[in-house]
Amino acid sequence: MLTILALASVILLGIVPQQSEGIVIYTGWERHALVGSDIRLSCSFFSWRWTSDDVTFSWSYRSDGARDAISIFHYTGGAPYVDNKGPFRDRLEFVGNPGRRDGSILLKNLDYGDNGTFTCDAKNPPDIVGRASSVRLLVFEKVPIQAGVITGSIIGAVLGLLLLIVVIYYFMRFLVARRVFNLSVSKHGKKGKGKEGSQQRQGPTLSIGDPSKLKAAASEKKKQESRKDKK
Amino acid sequence: MLVLLAGIFLLHLTSIILLLVATIDNAWWMTKTMSTDVWARWILTNGTWSSNDLPSYYPQEYLQAVQASSILACIFSSLGLFVFVGQLFTLSKGQRFTFSGIFQLIACLCIMIAASIYTDIFHKKELDGWYGHSFILAWISFAFTFISSIIYFVLRKKTAN
Repeated sequence: MLTILALASVILLGIVPQQSEGIVIYTGWERHALVGSDIRLSCSFFSWRWTSDDVTFSWSYRSDGARDAISIFHYTGGAPYVDNKGPFRDRLEFVGNPGRRDGSILLKNLDYGDNGTFTCDAKNPPDIVGRASSVRLLVFEKVPIQAGVITGSIIGAVLGLLLLIVVIYYFMRFLVARRVFNLSVSKHGKKGKGKEGSQQRQGPTLSIGDPSKLKAAASEKKKQESRKDKK
Repeated sequence: MLVLLAGIFLLHLTSIILLLVATIDNAWWMTKTMSTDVWARWILTNGTWSSNDLPSYYPQEYLQAVQASSILACIFSSLGLFVFVGQLFTLSKGQRFTFSGIFQLIACLCIMIAASIYTDIFHKKELDGWYGHSFILAWISFAFTFISSIIYFVLRKKTAN
C-alpha cells in the first residue's frame, strides 16, 4: 500500500513539472508617454528553473507603419548590447537586472516616430519554450484622461460625503441621547443628598434642555389631540 | 389614503425607471444614421447598427461629468425609494418624509446638472440631428423627481403603526 502511494507520488511529481515547463514572459500591455519624456519598458519572466548564467533578453521594435520588426537590444553572456545603428542609437539604456529576471530598457527623449510595438523575448536555458510578449507604446502631446477616472472619482466623492453625513448625524444623535441619559441618571442619583443643592448645580443645564423638550412634547400632544378630534 | 400612497410610490418608481433609461440608453443625440450618447455611439451602416467609441474630440471632463451625475441621480433616486419604504414603517404620526424628499431632491439636482452640461457643451454646432429620447427622458425625470420631492416634504404621516 505504502509503496504504491510512493510510486504514485513520484510519478506525479515527475509529470507535473514537465507539463508546466516553459517560460512565461511579462511586459505591459500598453504604455502612454509624453513627447520628449523618458519611458521604462519593463520585461520579466517566470520559469520553473533557477536563473541560469546564460539567460538572454532581446527586444525588437516594429513601427506602426512598418511590416517587419528590427532588433534593438540583446543581452547575452552577461553583457548588454544596445542599438548603435538603428532608430534608437544613443537613446537606449539597459536598466534591468538579469539576475533578478528583469530585462527592462529605458528609452530617452521620445518622439512621435517611436509609436509602435516593442517585443521582449527572454530565454532561460534549458527553459526556452515560451511566447514573446509585446507592449504598445503611444506617444502623446498631452496625456489624455483615462476613460472613467473623473466619473469614478465624482461618484466616489459624493457617495463618501453622503456616508459621512449619515455617520455624523447618527453620532450627534447618539451624543445627545447619551447626554440626556447622563442628566437623568445624575438627577435621580442625587435626590438623596439634597434636592436644592443638586438642582441649583444642574439648574442651568436642565433649563436649557428642558424648555425645548417640554415644548416638543406639548406640540406633539396638541397634534395628536387635534388628529383625534378630526377623526 | 392607501390610494395616495400607491400613487406616490408609483411616481417615485416611474422617475427611477426614466432615470435609468436616460442613463443607460445611448440616445441623447440622434441623426438618421447615428444614435450617440454619454457611453458609446451607434452608427447605421448597410442596414446594421454597430457600436463605436465616442469621438476623441469630445471634451473628456464634461463627458465624464455628465456620466457621473446621471449615475448619481439614479443611485440617489433608488436609495430614496428604500428610504421612503423604511420611513413608512418607522415614522411616528404627524411627521414628514424629509429624508425621502432630500434624496429625491438631490437626484433632481444631479440629473439637472447632467442635462444642463450636455445641453450647453455638446452638439452646439451640429445642425443636422435632433435630441434623442434619452435626453428628453432626462428632463422629464428632472420634473418628476422635483414634484416627488415636494410631495415628500409636504406629506405628513396620518396613520400610526
